Amino acid sequence: MDSLTSLMSGFETALTPLNLLWALIGVTLGTLVGVLPGIGPALTVALLLPVTAKLPPVSAFIMFAGIYYGGMFGGSTTSILLNTPGESASIITALEGNKMARKGRAAAALATAAIGSFIAGTIGTLLLTFAAPAIADIAVQITPSAKFALIMLAFVTISATFGGSPLRGLLSLFLGLGIGLVGTDLQSGQARFAMGRPELLDGIDFITVVIGLFAIGETLYVASRLRKGKFNVIKLEGGAVMSKEDWRRSWGPWLRGTALGFPFGAIPAGGAEIPTFLSYTLEKRLSKHPEEFGNGAIEGVAGPEAANNASAAGVLVPLLTLGLPTSATAAILLAAFQQYGLQPGPLLFITNGDLVWGLIASLYIGNVMLLALNLPLAPVWARLLLIPRPFLYAGILVFSTVGVYSLNNSVFDLGLLALFGVIGYGMRRFDFPVTPAIIGVVLGPTAEAQFRTALQQSNGDFSIFVRQPFTAFLMLCALAALVVPQILKFRAARRAA
Amino acid sequence: MTQPPPTTSPTRPGISVPDLLVALALTALGIALLLGSFQIPFGINAVVGPRVFPLIISVGLTALGLLLTISVLRGGRAEPAAEEDTDMEAPVNLAAPGIILGGFLLGAAVLTTAGFVIGTAIMYFSVAWAFGERRIGLMAGVALAVALVTYEAFTRGLGLNLPPGFLKGII
Repeated sequence: MDSLTSLMSGFETALTPLNLLWALIGVTLGTLVGVLPGIGPALTVALLLPVTAKLPPVSAFIMFAGIYYGGMFGGSTTSILLNTPGESASIITALEGNKMARKGRAAAALATAAIGSFIAGTIGTLLLTFAAPAIADIAVQITPSAKFALIMLAFVTISATFGGSPLRGLLSLFLGLGIGLVGTDLQSGQARFAMGRPELLDGIDFITVVIGLFAIGETLYVASRLRKGKFNVIKLEGGAVMSKEDWRRSWGPWLRGTALGFPFGAIPAGGAEIPTFLSYTLEKRLSKHPEEFGNGAIEGVAGPEAANNASAAGVLVPLLTLGLPTSATAAILLAAFQQYGLQPGPLLFITNGDLVWGLIASLYIGNVMLLALNLPLAPVWARLLLIPRPFLYAGILVFSTVGVYSLNNSVFDLGLLALFGVIGYGMRRFDFPVTPAIIGVVLGPTAEAQFRTALQQSNGDFSIFVRQPFTAFLMLCALAALVVPQILKFRAARRAA
Repeated sequence: MTQPPPTTSPTRPGISVPDLLVALALTALGIALLLGSFQIPFGINAVVGPRVFPLIISVGLTALGLLLTISVLRGGRAEPAAEEDTDMEAPVNLAAPGIILGGFLLGAAVLTTAGFVIGTAIMYFSVAWAFGERRIGLMAGVALAVALVTYEAFTRGLGLNLPPGFLKGII
């Protein structure tokens, strides 16, 4: 087994004391930012990128992977104890888990979420271990035109197919694509949209965009509609534990949630929201006591949380094998690879096998660490929710400033940061999803490069995008992903009328 | 931008002016990008020059902006997002984000002259104030402490270059 030998050497990389330390720092930070409102894994990795530039790439990515998985674990703590989902994939956990917590079953809800996340994360990583090299083998042969078509498909599914409003998702995507255009065109050396500013010739750093849209935008928006009065955080005594009965009721949902979550993450289908909803519906249907759902059924926490984490593992498949990010955090990870001069894709497994397998091995280790961090230490994390908001958000803003300023030591960048902060505020206020914009900024330049390479190979003949069967198939998928949901919606509306 | 609580139906008749402004601004941005694309030279010796992709994107953005404008004119309006610390029933307070933005820009403007510590302390203070904290002494103390610790950690610990300002030599 090729994967196994590679994985073993990956463990050798990941199990060095220093890399174990980075993994521990990563999962701790990840849980921390997952619990805290206003800051998440995507933002944290973006903030850390400038300061990790001096680390060896393997160590940096082991830490980033820890943050990525840790954020998922931490997010469920907030949903259960505070009833306010930090992201759409935690809506169900907030719904069902908070009901459990209110009935005095907070410990069991946290335990089933953490153990479920561990099981789903581990199975997901196992699937990644064996699926990724196989897909990479096939992906080596993908032509530039097919690569472009694949990016189109990801663009459409992420912004239009599964979002609330396809139009707003696409606008967000095009805004990101437009931002990605600013700067010197690498192929021709021509400046584009630089408006005569020398600072813009190098392009707008995606870190500035991410921190502006997420951190500053969120701070401005929350300030405008701040929840007044005391926080209704549920007290937690002792660690997260569950009874035999809870175990009996949880293991099925964990496995079924994993089965739903992983494929949804692996295909470019835009996030963990759909599988969590599917898992919830499935568990409700299979349950012997469906009346408990909506009043704190443990299955309603176990299944969706497993689905959420399995899809997080699934997202790494297209990221590592095709260089295709399907979530905001994955887009940041892709940009992080590019920052180190690495291009995720099929060749990465050959050229940087050490790094990839060290990263995958660290996911197994990180999952174990997260379980150990989250079960007994749950009350510690819960206390983080009591941090007074004025000091929390002020701190986030200061760290954002350091992160962006240290990119180029430029006050101009801080002006850009403020601009993207205002745009981020507007996107929240006017219901534009932020993820498509981030994907557009990070993936736009790659899309353009593949587009131009493909056309150069065909001497400017645009039919290259429909002539090759595989490219044509992907283009057709992208078109279907754009049109079919609209037709279904239209028909449903007509039937209702 | 005084917004009624989001319990009202989104299909309610009447045109929302803020929504219309956003839609028009996006359309205008698309047109501006389109005009900017024509400024880009064709490029030499290239089948596909640096102009083609920007043209596609700006045409797309303009078209999508127009679609949004049409949808707003037909009564469509956006539902503000619900976040972890927001209360959707509360009246919208635009002064708070204004204070944060003002404090941020002021801090950024003095960052190189007064130094990183003073600049970020101003930012910290303005956010804490905007979030309703009023214990001025405590805020100022925490702001300076956070700024100073961050400065020391990043310059000494991580070797970054942050401007010391007039505190040069002291910190």
